[in-house]
Amino acid sequence: MTTSPASGPGTAAAPPSGGGRARRLSGVRLQEYALVLVVIALFVAGSILKPDSFPTWDNVRNMLTQASVVGVLAIGMTFVIATAGIDLSVGSMVAAAGMFGGVLVDPEGSTLLFVFGALAFATALGSINAIAVAYGRVVPFIATLAMFSIARGIALLLNDKLPVGLLELNGGSFGDPAPFSLMWFGTGRILGIPVSVYVFLGVVVAGWLVLNRTRYGRYVVAVGGNREAARIAGVPVRRTILSVYVLSGLLAGVAAVLLCARLGSASPVSGNLYELDAIGAVVIGGTSLAGGRATIVGTFLGVLTFALIFSLMTQLDLSTEVQQVVKGAIVLGAVLIQRPEARL
Amino acid sequence: MSMMRLPAALAVAALLAVGAAACGGDSDDDGATATQAAAGATTGGEGGGAGGPVSIVASVPPTDHGWLGAISKNAQAAADEFDDVDFRLLEAADADSQAQQIEQVISDRPDALVVLPQDGAALTPVAQRAEAAGIPVVNVDRLFTAPDAATATILGDNYQIGVLAADYIARRLDCRGNVVEIQGLAGISVTEERTRGFVDELRKACPDGGIDIVARQPGDFNPDTGLRVMETILQAQDRIDAVYTHDDDMAQGVVQAIRNAGRDDEMFLTGVGGSQDAMEQIKEGGLYEATFLYNPNMAASAVNMARLIALGEGFPELVPPEVPRQIIVPAATVTSENVEQYEQYAFN
Amino acid sequence: MAPVLEVRGLVKEYPGVKALKGVDFAVERGEVHCLLGPNGAGKSTLIKCVSGAVAPTAGEILLDGDPLPVGDPSASLRRGVATIYQELDLVDELTVAQSVFLAHEPRRGPFLDLERMRRDAAALLARLGHEAIDPRTKVRELRPAAQQVVSIARALSHDVRLLIMDEPSAILDDGEIETLFGVVRRLTADGVSVVYISHRLDEIRRIGDRVTVLTDGRTAATDLPAATPTDELVELMVGRAVEQLYPERPHASGEVVLDVRGVRRLPSVRAVSLQVRAGEVVGLGGLVGSGRTELLRLIYGLDAPQAGEVRVGGRRLPPGRPDRAIAAGLGLAPEDRKSQGLLLDWSLTKNVSLADLGRFERGLLSVRAERAAAREQLQRLRTVPADAERAVRELSGGNQQKVVLARWLLRSCRVLLLDEPTRGVDVATKAELYRVIGDLAAAGVAVLVVSSELGELVGICSRILVMREGETVFEVDGERASERELLRHAVAPTETADLIEEVT
Repeated sequence: MTTSPASGPGTAAAPPSGGGRARRLSGVRLQEYALVLVVIALFVAGSILKPDSFPTWDNVRNMLTQASVVGVLAIGMTFVIATAGIDLSVGSMVAAAGMFGGVLVDPEGSTLLFVFGALAFATALGSINAIAVAYGRVVPFIATLAMFSIARGIALLLNDKLPVGLLELNGGSFGDPAPFSLMWFGTGRILGIPVSVYVFLGVVVAGWLVLNRTRYGRYVVAVGGNREAARIAGVPVRRTILSVYVLSGLLAGVAAVLLCARLGSASPVSGNLYELDAIGAVVIGGTSLAGGRATIVGTFLGVLTFALIFSLMTQLDLSTEVQQVVKGAIVLGAVLIQRPEARL
Repeated sequence: MSMMRLPAALAVAALLAVGAAACGGDSDDDGATATQAAAGATTGGEGGGAGGPVSIVASVPPTDHGWLGAISKNAQAAADEFDDVDFRLLEAADADSQAQQIEQVISDRPDALVVLPQDGAALTPVAQRAEAAGIPVVNVDRLFTAPDAATATILGDNYQIGVLAADYIARRLDCRGNVVEIQGLAGISVTEERTRGFVDELRKACPDGGIDIVARQPGDFNPDTGLRVMETILQAQDRIDAVYTHDDDMAQGVVQAIRNAGRDDEMFLTGVGGSQDAMEQIKEGGLYEATFLYNPNMAASAVNMARLIALGEGFPELVPPEVPRQIIVPAATVTSENVEQYEQYAFN
Repeated sequence: MAPVLEVRGLVKEYPGVKALKGVDFAVERGEVHCLLGPNGAGKSTLIKCVSGAVAPTAGEILLDGDPLPVGDPSASLRRGVATIYQELDLVDELTVAQSVFLAHEPRRGPFLDLERMRRDAAALLARLGHEAIDPRTKVRELRPAAQQVVSIARALSHDVRLLIMDEPSAILDDGEIETLFGVVRRLTADGVSVVYISHRLDEIRRIGDRVTVLTDGRTAATDLPAATPTDELVELMVGRAVEQLYPERPHASGEVVLDVRGVRRLPSVRAVSLQVRAGEVVGLGGLVGSGRTELLRLIYGLDAPQAGEVRVGGRRLPPGRPDRAIAAGLGLAPEDRKSQGLLLDWSLTKNVSLADLGRFERGLLSVRAERAAAREQLQRLRTVPADAERAVRELSGGNQQKVVLARWLLRSCRVLLLDEPTRGVDVATKAELYRVIGDLAAAGVAVLVVSSELGELVGICSRILVMREGETVFEVDGERASERELLRHAVAPTETADLIEEVT
C-alpha cells in the first residue's frame, strides 16, 4: 500500500500549523492541559453528586493513597513505553514480590527484610524481562507476557497458594504503627499525609527529573523515537532498553510494599490486571505506545483520572455493568478531547 | 437454578446429609471420608464384579483461591480412597482454556467427568458434547445452563447462604441499621444467588424495613480489590453497622480497610466459605462475627458420584437407588458460639 | 486540442499557511514537463492537489479540458493521473507482480488470478524495457532503480495518461538515471505526459521539454524551453543570482586523521583502505550498491568488519561501537536523514544535543545551556526556522540536513562522514551546505563525502575515490577530476549492471 501522502514526498513543505511558539506549547503540554480538565471535571462531578463525602480532605487523601500502587507502576511503565516497549508483567510481579517478602519474614522477620526482599525479588524478575528483550531480542509483548505468567505462578508457589499475614510488622501497636515499620508505609501519616502518598509523589518527581533532566531520560525517549538514529547519535541502545525493564521491576517491588502495607498481608492473587490500569494511565496521559514521546505529568494525571473514576463510581454505588460502561466512556472521551496526533 | 427443582433437591440433599452423618459417626476421619465411607460400603457390598478400574477426570478453575484450592484437594483425596479409580485433576486458567481442555479429554474417553466450570454458561456446550459422547458429567458448584449438560449436579446452596446471612444480620441489628454488601465476581451465578437470597430474606425478616443496603460493590473474590472498594465505601458512608462479604479470603482485605480507617468498633462483618483465618478471627471475637459454611467437601462427593455412575451403581439407601440428578449441600452459620464444632471443616 | 493537464489559479490554504497562492501551468500530450522550485515553493502541495490527495482552496484543475473532481484520489487515478513519490512506497515483502497490482488485483471469482497478475506485470515491465525483472521477485531484493521501474509499472497498470514523478532521480546514481530516462522516453513516445520534479538542473536538459518554475506558491515562469541556461533557472528559483555554487576547494594540510586499513565485510565491502587528512574533503563516488554506504557504516562502527581496522588519530577504534567512534571524534550524517539521522517529532534543540548531552549535565541537564548551545550551531548554519523548539518533522530536507550537521558541529568532531548530504535539497541550500563543508575542512576537520551526484564531488572535493563492487578502483585529485571519467570508472567493466541485487 502506498504510504500516507503526508510522509511521502521529501520536499513536503512544513505541514500547516499556527506559528512556532504556539505549536510548541501545544506539543505534549496541551494534551496535559486537556487531561487536567478531565481531572477537574471528575472532581466537580463528584462534588456535586456526593457533596458531603467527595470534596473532603479525607477522600482526597484516600484517593491518592489508592492511586499510589498503580501510580508507582505507571511511572515505570512510562519509561518502558517511551522505548516503544510494554511490560505486561507488573501486576504479577507485585504479587510475586509481596509473596517473596512475606515468605522471608514468616514466621519471623523485620520490615527491612521484607522491603529488601520484595524490592530485590521484583528487580530480579524485571531483570529477566530486561535480558530477554535487550539481549534475547524477544518482542517485549511476548517476553513480559511470559513473565506475567511466570511471576504469577511463583507468587502462588511461594506459600502453597496461601496469603501471608504481615500484621506483626507494625513495630508497635496496631493502629499506631511505628515509623518505618511496614504498616506505617500503609497507614502511617506525616503532617496528615499518608506515607504511601509521599512515596508515590517522590517516585513521580524523581521520574520527571530523570526523564526530562538527565541524559539517561533523553536516551530512553530517543531509543523509542528512532532506534537507528539514536544508535548513530551514540546512544547505548541496548543498555538503555535493558534498564527500563529493570526499573519497571524495581518499581513493581515498591508497589508491592505499598500494597502489602495497606493490606496487612501478602496475597498471591493481588495485583491482578494492574498492568492494564498502569498502561491505561500512561496512554491516556499522552505517552505514545509507539515510543518516542513520554510525559510523566500526563501519566500522573492519567493515574488520578482512574482513581477519581473508581472513587466516584464506587461512592455512587453504581452497579458493575454501569461502572464498566461509564469508565470506558470516560477513558475514550479523555483520549478524544486530546489533540488528534495523540491518538495513535 | 430453577425454583421448581429446589424443594425436591433439598429433600434429596437432606437425605444424603443424614446418611453421611450417620456413617460419619462410625468413621474415625472427617466429613469428607464420611461420605466416601458410605459410598465405599456400597461397592464393598456388591463386590468387585462391577468391572475394572474407572477413569475419572476432574476439571477445575485455577486453584489460586482458598476455597477452590480446598475443592481440588478434597477431590484428589476422595479419589485416593479408591483403588479402582484412575483419577486426573486438570486446572484451567480461564473459561476458554477449560473448554479446550475438556474437548481434549473427551477424545481420551474417560468413564466420567467432574466439572467445576469457570463459567457455567460458557462451558455448557462442551459439557453437552461430553454427554453426547456417552461420558457422564458431574457438575459441581457453578451450574450449567442446559439440563442435558450433566448427568448429576452437586452444588452448594448459594441462595441459602444469602438467607442465613440476612437472618444473622437482621437479628443482630434488630432490623435497624446500614449494611454494606461486598459481592464476589460480578455476573456469575454464585454472586447473584448470594445477593438474591440476602435481599429476599431481609425483606421477610424485617417486613417493616429498617435495614438499608447502603452500598453493594463487587470485590472480585480478591483481597486487594476488597480493600480498595471498602476504603472508598468508608469514605462515602459515615455510618455502617454491618458488612456482608461474599468470601472469607476477600473479606481479609475488607477487614484491613476497616481497621486502617480505625472504624472496627463501629460495625461487624460476615464472610462466606469457612476458611481457617475467618474461623480464628471469629473465635477471637471482634469485627469478624460470622461466616457461612460453603463446604468444599462437595468435590469429594462429586468424585464419589462420578465413580458410582461410571460403575452403574447407586445409593442403596435411596429409593430408587440411582444416583440423584441433583444434590444441594446445605449451608451453615458459624459464629463464636459454634465455631469449635465447625473448625474441622476449615480450609486454608 | 486542450492540453492534458491545465492548472488555473490554484490556491491552497492550510490554517495559518498559504501553500499555493495562484499557480498556472499546462502540460501537453507526450511531453516531459519539468517543475522546478526551491524547497517549500509548493511543488508537493501542487502535485497533491492534482493527484487528489488534498482539495485545493480555489482554482481549477482541468484534465483534457474537463474539471477534475477535487480531493478524490481514486477519481484522479481513474482519469489517468498517477504519482510516483520520491521515497519509494512499495511494500518490501510483496513480489513485483503483487506490488504492481496492489489494491486492484485481477480476480477470477473471489480468488486472485495469480497467473494473470504475473503475465500482465511481465508485459508492463517489458513495455518499460525491463523484461529482466522477474515478477516473482520480492521488492526488497531489487535495487532502488528497479524498484522505481516497478512503481512506474504500477502507475501504468492504471492506464495512465499523466505521470507525476517527484524527484525520481534522488535515490539513483548516474548509471541508473539513464535507465530511468529510457523508461520516461518510452512513455512519452506512447503519448503519456510526464510532470518531472527534480533538484538536479542538469537533468532538465537531458529529459525535459518545457519548464515551469515555482517560487513561494506562485508560478514564477512557465513554458520555458528545456535549453534555458542553468544560471537563469537558478535565478528564477532563488530570486537572485547564486554567484558561486561551490566554495574554494580545500587542500589537505594536516596529518592523517582517519586511517582505514583493509576493512572488509562481504558481500558489500572487500578490503578497502583509505586515508583522510585534517582539512581535507575526500569524495567517495560510485553507483548505488557499490558499497559506499556500507563502508561508512563500517568506519563508524555501526557494523563490525570481518577484517581490517579503523584508526582515528592513530588510535584503533573498537569494532561495532558507534558510541566509541563518536567519543574518538567521528560524526555521521546518514544517507536517510529521516529514518536514521533524526527524531522527527523532537525539537531541533534536542536533535542537535543528543550526541553531546554529557556537556550539559551537572547532575541534571541544564536545559537552558542546551538550548543556547544548539541555537548557536543552528544559527551558524543559517537553519530555518529560527525557533529551535519546533519539531524537526516540519522542516524541509535541506534544513533537516543542517540539523544533523549542527549536531556534529556542537561536538566539534574531527572526522565527519557525510552520506549523500545534499539529496533532496534545493540548489540554494546546496550551495550553503557546500560552504559549511568547506568551512569545516578549513577548520581542520577531515571530511569524507559519499555522493551519487558526481558533479558535486568534482566541485567540492580535494580528492575523489571511486568505488565499484566493494572496492576502491580509482583515485583522482579534485582539481583534475571530470564527471565523465568518474562515471566511466564507476560502471566499468560490465555495462549491463544487473538490477537485481544478490541478497545475503
